[in-house]
Amino acid sequence: MISGYLDGLGMVLQLGTLLAIAGGTLLGIIMGSLPGLTSAMAIALLLPVTFGMPPVAGVGMLLGALCGAGASGSIPAILLNIPGTPSSVATTFDGYPMAKKGEAGRALGLAIVASFFGGVASMIILSLLAPPIAEFALRFGPAEYFSLSIFGLVIIASVAGKSLLKGLIAGLIGFFASTIGTDPITGVGRFTFNELSLLTGINLLPALIGLFAVSQVLKDTLEYDPHERVKESTHRIDIARPRFLETLRHWKAVVTGVLSGSVVGPVPGAGGSIASLVAYDQTRRFSKSPDKFGTGYAPGIISVESANNALLGGALIPTLALGIPGEAATAVLLGGLMIQGITPGPLLFDDQGGMVYGIFLAYLVANFFMLLIMCLGIKLFIRVLTVPRKQLLATILVFCFIGVYGVDGDVFNLYLMLGFGVLGYFLNRYDFGTAPVILGLILGPIAESNLRRGLQSFQGDWTPFFTRPISVTFLVIAIGLLALTLWQNYRAGKQVSASQGSGV
Amino acid sequence: MQRDIGKPLFDLFLLIASAAAFVAATALPEIEIVGDLSPAFFPKLLSGLIFLFAIPCLIKDFREWWMVRSVASPTPQVVKVRSVAQWLFVVLLLVGYMLAFERLGYIISTASFTFCCVLGLVILSGVWGEQTMAQRGKSVLGALVFAAVLAVAVFYVFNNLFEIPLPA
Amino acid sequence: MKKLLSTLAVTATFAIGGHALADDYPTKSVNMIVPFSAGGGNDTFVRALQPLLEEQLGESLVIRNIAGGGGAVGMSRAVASEPDGYTLLAASNAMLTLEAMGNVPFTHDDFDFIAKVVDEPYILAVGEESPYEDLDSLVEAASDSPVKVGSSGVGSSAYITANAIANRTGAKLNLIPYPGGSEAISAAMGGHVDAVVLGGAELRSALESGRLEALATTYAERGDSLPDVPTFKESGYDLVLSVWRGIAAPKGLPQEVKDEWVAAVQQIVDDGSYEETANNLGTKLSPLFGDKLEAFIDESAGIMREAAGDLAK
Repeated sequence: MISGYLDGLGMVLQLGTLLAIAGGTLLGIIMGSLPGLTSAMAIALLLPVTFGMPPVAGVGMLLGALCGAGASGSIPAILLNIPGTPSSVATTFDGYPMAKKGEAGRALGLAIVASFFGGVASMIILSLLAPPIAEFALRFGPAEYFSLSIFGLVIIASVAGKSLLKGLIAGLIGFFASTIGTDPITGVGRFTFNELSLLTGINLLPALIGLFAVSQVLKDTLEYDPHERVKESTHRIDIARPRFLETLRHWKAVVTGVLSGSVVGPVPGAGGSIASLVAYDQTRRFSKSPDKFGTGYAPGIISVESANNALLGGALIPTLALGIPGEAATAVLLGGLMIQGITPGPLLFDDQGGMVYGIFLAYLVANFFMLLIMCLGIKLFIRVLTVPRKQLLATILVFCFIGVYGVDGDVFNLYLMLGFGVLGYFLNRYDFGTAPVILGLILGPIAESNLRRGLQSFQGDWTPFFTRPISVTFLVIAIGLLALTLWQNYRAGKQVSASQGSGV
Repeated sequence: MQRDIGKPLFDLFLLIASAAAFVAATALPEIEIVGDLSPAFFPKLLSGLIFLFAIPCLIKDFREWWMVRSVASPTPQVVKVRSVAQWLFVVLLLVGYMLAFERLGYIISTASFTFCCVLGLVILSGVWGEQTMAQRGKSVLGALVFAAVLAVAVFYVFNNLFEIPLPA
Repeated sequence: MKKLLSTLAVTATFAIGGHALADDYPTKSVNMIVPFSAGGGNDTFVRALQPLLEEQLGESLVIRNIAGGGGAVGMSRAVASEPDGYTLLAASNAMLTLEAMGNVPFTHDDFDFIAKVVDEPYILAVGEESPYEDLDSLVEAASDSPVKVGSSGVGSSAYITANAIANRTGAKLNLIPYPGGSEAISAAMGGHVDAVVLGGAELRSALESGRLEALATTYAERGDSLPDVPTFKESGYDLVLSVWRGIAAPKGLPQEVKDEWVAAVQQIVDDGSYEETANNLGTKLSPLFGDKLEAFIDESAGIMREAAGDLAK
């Protein structure tokens, strides 16, 4: 193994390879910071470029894009309350409030360092434990996926905001929206209205951009008032620097993030989108001061961002160890590996010389480049906030259009985006929240299709959902967490009614 | 607390929409696959739950609105009208941008959208009315330059550099 | 009548305009519509071909992912565009299955097919610890109680092929649709289904590592990549199908443009610059042009239509 790493090191430590990784990382950072443009897009664009390169350089470039995009999603989430990918939704919960307090630089500094720690930790986990974790992921059948999605849906209670009932309604709206399209089991069209674009259902991306970016811009336009521009909250640029010590002080949040990313991230299909939400949920639940979450509290940012880059390592586990990509980005990456003649699977970990170690090291190097580029750019990112409001609003909308149109090239997605934008605006305004909608959209299809797939393959028998060990574990935890939330809510409700009137 | 008739109205909207969705779901075809639930099962369940949960929300929000009603609203109406005008303006502008996106091509549609958006906000927010002629000229020119530069730069960077095809 | 008129109009435009435009084709960059998001088999196929085609044509090839509706959105966009050779489509079986399922307002007759470039077989595979050692034992077991077979989504070509396998072999298969090939593969590896039917490229790494074992392929004769795996045909079932990928254009493509493209693809095939990539991706170079290609497409469409049978609307 040591000699393998030495061979791998030899492949990585070449000028061409290092430049390729740096270039990939830079492109990933740019793409990831624009709402809607995803790491999958960045990797696909780089794919033809990597053909002529030696394998480790080519794969390193693609991994750089993956890593860069994973980290830079936090930039718009923190500065503008706009998550560019589902996995940075949770970054907005504490990142944006902190930025609103004028500490955007601190939030970014925490996010960058947490991303870096998450990425490096997940690389270590990937290199040591990939095969056993991949085997664990294989034990997920319909029953386990169903229970996992129920476990995930309980998170709605955590992100619901003021009213649990309204948060639940928002989640159900998202879930209902996810049933639009061709039925996954029978193939019947549901609510498709003969629209070709709806045959495969509502795309997550336009919904996400609409619910978060467009709704936020609409809120800002409503509140737009050039007369009160001289507010006190001048953004301090001098505090914008990477925050190693502060991040380390919240090491528990880092560990929670890394664990969530590495355990939930490898589950194909579900993991990537919810790992960071799981991390946020767990960190908050086991925190001594859960009230501080949502107000710009450092551990909230740290756990989410470390989960965010740890889940990339997590997602690479089934991709490399089994050849099973979990979502779009790793699917493109898999294509890139295969074109290079690298066949992922258990054999990759056994032979092919230093190849697999070269890939690990390239991923590690990508994390360092990510840290470097983000640290150099941090003061630049903050300048976004000094752009005059009206120009900024117009520019955000222009980029939303590019993100939504650029990925699938379908104008229908723009209609969806605007529809979800208006819906999201009202949901936020009337305390329903938009994060539960996204959770419903992501987890709804997993819950529905796996319940029905399970019933189909168990021939109508419900018991396996409650007897298979992993499945029942998730269900028990889900019910426990739900009960805990209800109890906490009940107690908090009592306290509020005791001191009625303090209000919003 | 602000008085907002929109709150109970939105609950009412959810109530009606979920009822409509439930009715639409009952029209879905029934297909029998051994053990499987029908394709209509989840849509019916979900819309039914939304309907049920929306009822208490409506009652609560309506009562709150009713109670606040008696207290005089301190918010000056002028500000509200202006805000809503800005909001509606941007939504309508977005619809126009969307429709023009592929028909007029990226650069023209984006430049006009950006120009209208920036200038429209200047006018609607009331700044325009306070400006002298020279300042107005500057606003228009500024918006024009900003719109043109943004549209062309973005088109060049994405279409040519990143090879993400945009409508020409 | 309306259709005839529009056909006439199209023919007229290209009779008049065709010559002038095709002489020095291409004079600007060519759009290639990939009707799927980045990362699918179709997308990887084209992106791998992109630099080679650009070299041959001397102009840049812009890949446009127009995804949605299982390919329907991108294909209908291709049908609606000008047949001037500047908008082409990365075509595959998906077109024929969409047609067979009756979900879309176009058929393969609305396209001019330029070339088929690669193909791969559909493979019936089982987990490494499966009790089924060969096709016969699986078919036999499936005559008593249904065998769970995973594939990609309802209406995908793999799903329709699985349906065709059930019809032709008489086996009772409990077809379980997964959202995509990778989910089906992991279900087979984890023992959640008894077998899978998927394209060879998707199954390649699983088969190579021995986690899954192939029982039969839908090629007409045994291929080089899996020489030990029998075909359905030699096992006595009349089932020959393949997953093909190629290039198509909206109907009415000028002949000169078509010739230019056929020459470019032929050159790439001949000089072997794509062969290794194709093999790495788990596909086989199997170029087909002109009348043979049209006959092939017609035949495949017929098989798909029949296989979709009761699934279609």
